Amino acid sequence: MPIIFFGVLFYWPLGKILSLGFTSHLLSTVATQRNASLVWFTVWQAALSAGLSLLFGIPGAYVLYHRSFPGQKFLRALITVPFILPTIVVAIGFTAFRQLPIISALLMGHSGIPVIICANIFMNYSLAVRIVGGVWTTLDGAIEDAAALDGAGRLRTLKSITLPQLSNSIASAGALIFLYCAANFGIVLVLGGASTRTIETEIYVATTQYLDLQRTSGLVLVQTVLTVIAFVVAQRFSKGHMGFGSTTSLEARSRIDLRDLPAIALTAIFVGGLIVVPISTVMIRAFQVDSNFTFLNFTNLAGHGARDLLAISVGQATLNTFRNAIITVALSISVGVVVSYLISRSALKRKSRSFQRAMDIVFQMPVGISSVVLGIGYLVCFSGGLFPLRSSWLVTPIAQSLLTIPLVIRLIYPSLMTIDEELLESAETESADPSQIWWLIEIPIIRDVVVIATGYAAIVSIGEFGAANFLAYGDQGTLPTVLYQLISRPGAQNYGMAMATSSLLIALALVVVYALSALDREKG
Amino acid sequence: MKFSRKTLAGFALILTVGLVLLFINLSGNSKPRDVTLVTHDSFVMSKALISDFNKTTGYNLKLLKAGDAGSLTNRLILTRKTPIGDAVFGIDNTFAGVATSNDIIDGSLNPTDFGDVCFNYDKIWFAQHKIPAPISVRDLALSKYKGLTVIENPNLSSTGLSFLAASVDKFGASGWQPYWQSLKDNGIKVDNGWEAAYFTDFSGSSGKGAFPIVLSYASSPADEVRANGQSQTASLLDGCFRQTEYVGVLKNAKNPAGAAAVVKYLLSPKFQATFPDAMYMYPSVAGTPIPAAWSKFTQIATHTFGDTLNFNANRKSWLTKWSAIFG
Repeated sequence: MPIIFFGVLFYWPLGKILSLGFTSHLLSTVATQRNASLVWFTVWQAALSAGLSLLFGIPGAYVLYHRSFPGQKFLRALITVPFILPTIVVAIGFTAFRQLPIISALLMGHSGIPVIICANIFMNYSLAVRIVGGVWTTLDGAIEDAAALDGAGRLRTLKSITLPQLSNSIASAGALIFLYCAANFGIVLVLGGASTRTIETEIYVATTQYLDLQRTSGLVLVQTVLTVIAFVVAQRFSKGHMGFGSTTSLEARSRIDLRDLPAIALTAIFVGGLIVVPISTVMIRAFQVDSNFTFLNFTNLAGHGARDLLAISVGQATLNTFRNAIITVALSISVGVVVSYLISRSALKRKSRSFQRAMDIVFQMPVGISSVVLGIGYLVCFSGGLFPLRSSWLVTPIAQSLLTIPLVIRLIYPSLMTIDEELLESAETESADPSQIWWLIEIPIIRDVVVIATGYAAIVSIGEFGAANFLAYGDQGTLPTVLYQLISRPGAQNYGMAMATSSLLIALALVVVYALSALDREKG
Repeated sequence: MKFSRKTLAGFALILTVGLVLLFINLSGNSKPRDVTLVTHDSFVMSKALISDFNKTTGYNLKLLKAGDAGSLTNRLILTRKTPIGDAVFGIDNTFAGVATSNDIIDGSLNPTDFGDVCFNYDKIWFAQHKIPAPISVRDLALSKYKGLTVIENPNLSSTGLSFLAASVDKFGASGWQPYWQSLKDNGIKVDNGWEAAYFTDFSGSSGKGAFPIVLSYASSPADEVRANGQSQTASLLDGCFRQTEYVGVLKNAKNPAGAAAVVKYLLSPKFQATFPDAMYMYPSVAGTPIPAAWSKFTQIATHTFGDTLNFNANRKSWLTKWSAIFG
């Protein structure tokens, strides 16, 4: 079933566009000097962004998931917000960030590339924290305590006991962030200048401006290869460190203490500087008209914008957004859990490891592939004929779930991999049937991660712009599409309303993630 | 497989219910009275106008957005055999040649509206810094305007492409590349889209950026009127490009009669009058009234550049040469 879902909704439209541009000269059009520098820039900026996200994210995961302190859940929710912000809002947040004295001194001039990398980290930091942290909470503190009793320092314990157990999730997060940064269109578009070009922006130009499908196909092939390489590398890194004796973490996590200071300091500086500043910039501007404090922007949201710009009110757009989010969550959690389960089972059996790897990559593909191409593929494939999907409102949540399923898999799969094999085998020898194993052993272990995944799927759907802009027209608009309509016109009222809509998105994301974290069994 | 059959069945059930819902939703699709207008992303038609169209013509109008003018045109070319709609609005004079040479329009493209792509400047900034505002696009290369201008990348933005064409026309085949080199040397900033240039970098918008000169539209100052009744910005009416947008019937349309009714409606006085307010463009049909704020704060350029050039033949070479300067 998941394979049919992906086959029809992802691989068919993709294949269709590729076949339109496929010629025998394909290789010669791909292998040019210009493309080489394009690919190189795409790869290094994404790799650097992913590396830095992990560098900041691992201490963050430690502080926010392995220790406990008051206000922790709020902070966890807060760091998730940037992930869903439409890129134009990120850009507005970052103009203020760029103007901070310390940052402008560091940037020394106007080069867009450091800002692009900062924005990439800003958006993806929470992914690193959540994916690594999600597994970290399930680790048994007793082993670390034992190591500590034996006189091992924190760093040594971290290096020889904790990191190996986390390697799976670190690799998982790294690959995912790398691909998000490599295929990100909006950030480069809004923050980059004329000379910053990535594979994705070139695909956009080739497809929408020149209709040069041969070049498009060549570049999509490059993206495909990059995606496969990223996951193969990630799989290599995580090899051999599966399933320490981990149980559910019902015992309370230890409180934070002085020895955690380096990790706390790093996380505090990071969250304070790189996350709070851009977000609060947007929030503050939502309450300003001509530099005066006011609620006017919010009261304006009841109407249809200056000169009736909007086809629907922000209220209706919010309802559409919620409806799409519910469908997206239902689809992506059901498909994501099934796929993660199947992949992890075949991984534990070892005999079908290559099959498992292939399946893993098959379902991760949408992360690395151009949404521009997918959008055009939808237009060509679903406009009439067998599946006239194009004209149904369901097309938006379906396309969004293609983007969230890989994310759900990356969250749930590492957690399933930490389940102790012997535990499963002993349950089997005691003749527990598979459904008992599933409900009594596996579900409790992945429950927290499923909650996290639900939150992510929901907020990705809430904040998603590319697919929604292309597929949800007329009265089907969502909050991000309404926001773009407002900000693509001059005028203070439109700008103010756009900032108010952004604040609404930020608040919505906070509430959704925070409410879901209340479902956490753990007493944080 | 250790996966419980029950659980698997559960998930399969969810998916099946979803697909059934989908098909229920799809049935009842495409009735004979339906007519679909494909538009660019910035098209605005109020609910009241849609129901007025439906009432007066007996058709049922559906709207479909398909990206900016370039994406729109190219998507229609890709789907020309089984078009995604019946009529199209939003192909402009920069892409009209592509549309006609690919034979996607049945009959002619009818001009509906126009707007002048011009530089805007922040009057308050120039007053505070006691520098006279520029009066020609040539001034932008002068050292007193060094590092003050932000424009859009012509590879990615139709606004940027418009000014590139205007510069080719104004400075001629031998002059336009040196002109751009001088702009680059004078620290012009290139953003990839209008939104970023206008709302994050331009000082005269609510985004309060650092650049007091931006490439935008002659109509934009009407939307920056402050509490004192004055617009904070003004247009530099030199080197402007006149962008004209068209409506037409698509070849192979399922409902050509409905499409013709849409074309007629977009050219009617009632719809023409909504162009300034809803789409920030001037109506093409002569005699259509213009809002008061517009006549007060905006002017149209007396002489525009580049709008009659052959985009179809030159686009690629312009952009390649431009990118060589800025790459």
